[in-house]
Amino acid sequence: MSYLELRAVAKRYGPVDALTRVDLTVAPGTLTAVLGPSGCGKTTLLRCVAGFEHIDAGSITVDGRTVAGDSTHLAPHRRKVAIVPQESALFPHLSVRDNVAYGLDRATRRTSRVHEVLTLVGLADHGDRMPHQLSGGQQQRIAVARALAPRPALILLDEPFSSLDAALRADLRDDIRAALRADGATAVLVTHDQGEALSVADQVAVMRAGAIVQAATPADIYHHPTDPWTAAFIGDAILLTGQVHDGTLHTPLGAVPIAPPRPGWSAPTTTEVDVMLRPEQIRVGRADEGVPATVETIAFHGHDALITLRLTDAGTITARVFGTTGLPAAGALVGLRVEGTALTWATRMPVPVPTPPEHDRRRPVGPRRDRAEPGVGH
Amino acid sequence: MRAPVRTPLLSLACAGLLLLGATACGGESAPTDDAAPASDKKITLYSGRSESLVKPLLEKFTQQSGITVEVRYAGTAAMATQLLEEGEKSPADAFLAQDAGALGAVAKKGLFAPLPADVVAKVPQTYRASSGQWVGVTARSRVLVYNPDLVPAAQLPASVFDLTGPAWKGKVGVAPTNASFQAFVTAVTVQHGEARAKEFLAGLKANAPQVREGNAPIVEEVDAGKLAVGLVNHYYLGEIAHERGTTPEKMKAKLHFFPNGDTGALVNVAGIGVLKKAAQDPDVRTFVDYLLGPEAQTYFAEKTYEYPVVGGVPAPAYAPALDTLKVPAVDLNELDRLEATINLIKESGLVP
Amino acid sequence: MTLIPLAYLVVRTGEAGWTRITEELLTRRVSRLALHTLGLATVVTVGCLLLGVGAAFLVVRTNLPMRRLFAVLAALPLAVPTYIAAFTWVSTVDGFEGFWPAALVLTLCSYPYVFLPVAAALAGSDPAQEEVSRSLGRGGWATFTAVTLRQIRPALTGGGLLVALYVLADFGAVSILRADTFTRAIFIAFDLGFDRTGALVLSLVLVGLTVLILAGETATRRPGRRYASLRGARRSPTRIDLGRWGWPAVGGLTAVALLALGVPAASLARRLAEGVSRPGDWTEVATAAGNSLSLSLAGAALTMLLALPLGLLTARAPGMISTVLERLSYLSHALPGLVIGLSLVFFGINVVYPLYQSTALLALGYAALFLPLATAAVTGAAAQAPPVLEDVARSLGRGPVTVLRTVTLPLTLPGIAAGVALVFLACMKELPATLLLRPTGTDTLATELWTNTSVAAYAAAAPYAALLVGLSSVPTWLLTARTGVLIKENQS
Repeated sequence: MSYLELRAVAKRYGPVDALTRVDLTVAPGTLTAVLGPSGCGKTTLLRCVAGFEHIDAGSITVDGRTVAGDSTHLAPHRRKVAIVPQESALFPHLSVRDNVAYGLDRATRRTSRVHEVLTLVGLADHGDRMPHQLSGGQQQRIAVARALAPRPALILLDEPFSSLDAALRADLRDDIRAALRADGATAVLVTHDQGEALSVADQVAVMRAGAIVQAATPADIYHHPTDPWTAAFIGDAILLTGQVHDGTLHTPLGAVPIAPPRPGWSAPTTTEVDVMLRPEQIRVGRADEGVPATVETIAFHGHDALITLRLTDAGTITARVFGTTGLPAAGALVGLRVEGTALTWATRMPVPVPTPPEHDRRRPVGPRRDRAEPGVGH
Repeated sequence: MRAPVRTPLLSLACAGLLLLGATACGGESAPTDDAAPASDKKITLYSGRSESLVKPLLEKFTQQSGITVEVRYAGTAAMATQLLEEGEKSPADAFLAQDAGALGAVAKKGLFAPLPADVVAKVPQTYRASSGQWVGVTARSRVLVYNPDLVPAAQLPASVFDLTGPAWKGKVGVAPTNASFQAFVTAVTVQHGEARAKEFLAGLKANAPQVREGNAPIVEEVDAGKLAVGLVNHYYLGEIAHERGTTPEKMKAKLHFFPNGDTGALVNVAGIGVLKKAAQDPDVRTFVDYLLGPEAQTYFAEKTYEYPVVGGVPAPAYAPALDTLKVPAVDLNELDRLEATINLIKESGLVP
Repeated sequence: MTLIPLAYLVVRTGEAGWTRITEELLTRRVSRLALHTLGLATVVTVGCLLLGVGAAFLVVRTNLPMRRLFAVLAALPLAVPTYIAAFTWVSTVDGFEGFWPAALVLTLCSYPYVFLPVAAALAGSDPAQEEVSRSLGRGGWATFTAVTLRQIRPALTGGGLLVALYVLADFGAVSILRADTFTRAIFIAFDLGFDRTGALVLSLVLVGLTVLILAGETATRRPGRRYASLRGARRSPTRIDLGRWGWPAVGGLTAVALLALGVPAASLARRLAEGVSRPGDWTEVATAAGNSLSLSLAGAALTMLLALPLGLLTARAPGMISTVLERLSYLSHALPGLVIGLSLVFFGINVVYPLYQSTALLALGYAALFLPLATAAVTGAAAQAPPVLEDVARSLGRGPVTVLRTVTLPLTLPGIAAGVALVFLACMKELPATLLLRPTGTDTLATELWTNTSVAAYAAAAPYAALLVGLSSVPTWLLTARTGVLIKENQS
């Protein structure tokens, strides 16, 4: 049974706590995305699981076997954990076929396994090429095939798509997801790209400052982030301040129903609260209906559009509008209405809200986040 | 500096190469018991004289005596420096040197053992250390090599000091980095005092000398008519003639021996000294005796065109006999007073 | 280990006392020597950079006729010791001596130190950047200076540094051509009355100059890519059509080859024809050749053994410590062989006496002299095997030994072999340290050459010289092949 379990894993580099306390469970045959901003410790986590780093505390179990713990440190090559690094790192002196066969024992090399995994990644006829004759995307596919070939307990992918251009990345992502699933592999994908994590993973684990903040299904984590930081890090969020009086939440967008309590989240009992809405919850209507606002800019995306709106006294927010005919013009006065429920948290000290990493050129959805503080989260 | 970290690796490497070296070089078997004068039929010689000269002679010696000679060859100065650096632990039994100065420097450090009186007695007093720590094996005279086409014999200078005169401006070849030139300058100091030596060097320098790196190029250039005259040792003409397959007499260049005991006709020696640890070694004694014997003396005279120092052996044909030369009155023992000379030569600007 | 010579210098000059040291140092002579030495190093380095880059560019980036032949010819001077080159020049051209002739001979002998790495860098560089530059309206020359030169910068500075230090340490050319440099002054100090102190004080100044040059080079270093790119298809660069400049270029390269190789060859041939002296019988020549090969091999092997940890440390864990260690190894590289030899005599006599006058100590001497050549090669080789490849291999279930055998070694061995070849060449040519440290009775080609020329037996010396150059040309050819310029292309 393929299975990964991390319990209270900690790792220090001198005075720096790279991992403070990481707990994570990965179910067999699934893909878990570890999502976090640069420097949050996700690559360290991956190296700890692969066995390239010794952990200082906690334990790591792979396939029911403790590979790292109090007194154990299994060498990387005994863990059955295959890695796919950021830059495919194919062995430049070996052909594609020999690269893929590298992790196979002699007997398996003679079987059709190499051909099988090459077919899975769609490069069955490239076996005789040398790595330098392949494009970047092809190299990445071979790297995945190479990791799949020996049927490891776990495959670790370290931002495998980050160095590819946008169009290629989406295709490759889907193909590799399909290949992993077809082979029944259990995999952990490290990424800083929210769209990537949400679209391919069975489970998303959000990481921040050396700890897992929340691990849940993509939908769950999008709709029920554990705190405002996670809310803003996973997709676009409208973060506002509100007051609760007599069970009713008052926000600059008017009164909004509070989401019903769920395991791990319950409505705060304070008066002052932080409020989170998603842009698609905002309905833009005629000026005389709902909260008045001025249209500042419109970003048109074909299937939807993002409208930046200025509220009278509460800054700007973004609304996502589907059905993109008859959009208001910039400068127009509109009326806003909120659909659905709002998530609230007791107001604390302002939490630094992540901004997208600089090199993250292709953001899946476009609007700026409200209250975003530039430069924080790197 | 982290040196300790690398040390084990270094010793490992050394150990590995030791194995390699042991088979490659046969190892060093220094005599362990120097009190016992037992013959092991083997000696180690440091030679500042060149292999092509010494080797055939050593082969003859080994043939006759059955004693193997392990030889290290290097320049005389480098060899002397190496001996000084090695000190008492030197593997060498004897040092065969190209000039008296080098022998003197080693003797001064107390590395040589005094030679037995009967050995010393074979060599005229002029050509050995007064302390008996080394003896000359062959003698060589300083000469002026000249091209008769450029300088008629009648115009040759009577003294080396004349070369600072205007008539010789730009015409004189010298090799100031050569040990024999340096011995000559020392001789000037010994004979005429430091002031005179200084004056001579300054005059030479001011007279646009043709400075060369060694004696051989000077002789070649004089022979070719590119240089008029040059200050060299007498045997170079013989060596170059030999290399050209001819005799010294047929060369264009001729030798001029400064007359009347002029310092320019200094006679220096190539000699040998025995290191302390080999003082009692009978094989070394056999070797020294052989060098001073008629066979070796004749060999040097014929092959190196040098003068034998032991009586009864004829001098090379093309040079006047040693006893007919008017040799300047310079004690060769004093030629080890080098430091002052070096400073003189350095100050003169003849060398960098 | 590099510290042995330095320790020796400090111990011996310390014995002399301050007054003696200051007496030696504070003279106009020392400042004049320093000026000459630095001047010579500068002129030769600039000359080598121009010649090396020019030849490399013509051979790698243009449609030069017979370019593979010229690639070999441009590397071959590496096989010619400076003392042979200088000697043959002196006996060919009258009055050939002093600063500029020495600069010429040194440039001709050492420009392959620039040519080889630059040719390799040019052959391996990505043409895309140059194309971008051209597309942005930069002309050929502007692109060359703005893009190409930047790309090959590490090769340029590395080669230039080797040349500069080579000039500092060279004895052959400067003594025969009578150029006043520190090395020559050091040798003369030894020759004139075995003046160790004077020579060693001068050596210390030479160390100071080396530190100066190293500091300069370190300051101009920029952090750059340390590992070979693992991604993307690489095209071979398009060749520039020389057009009617093709034959002038051929003429230029031929002229350089004639000066660097033709003059020595012709002069040796003439000496052989004129002289009547002959080398010993063929067994003697063969023994010398065998000794040269085995001693140089031992030297190259030990040097590489020592360079491996240092080079790997530099490549894998760059930082203060590795930088300092690496720089230290350059210090002894710039010291003359005689000083290195004496310091190891000192070390051998006082510390490892059983090793004295053994192959091991000589090999150690070679290592002290040539460690940077090997370290640079290891650093370059390590860049061919980024650690991530080893991580991947481990994660695929292969143990450390298997990973070393199947990934690290296949990727780094060519570079390491090139380093061994370079050190091997240097050992073949080395003379002063060999004379001091060789096992008693062991003759090499270089020592035989020296023996014979010192008694004017030039004809006897010529075969040794020819054999020395001939044997050295094999590793030189290997080094050239490694740059990738000898690869045949399908298209013209």
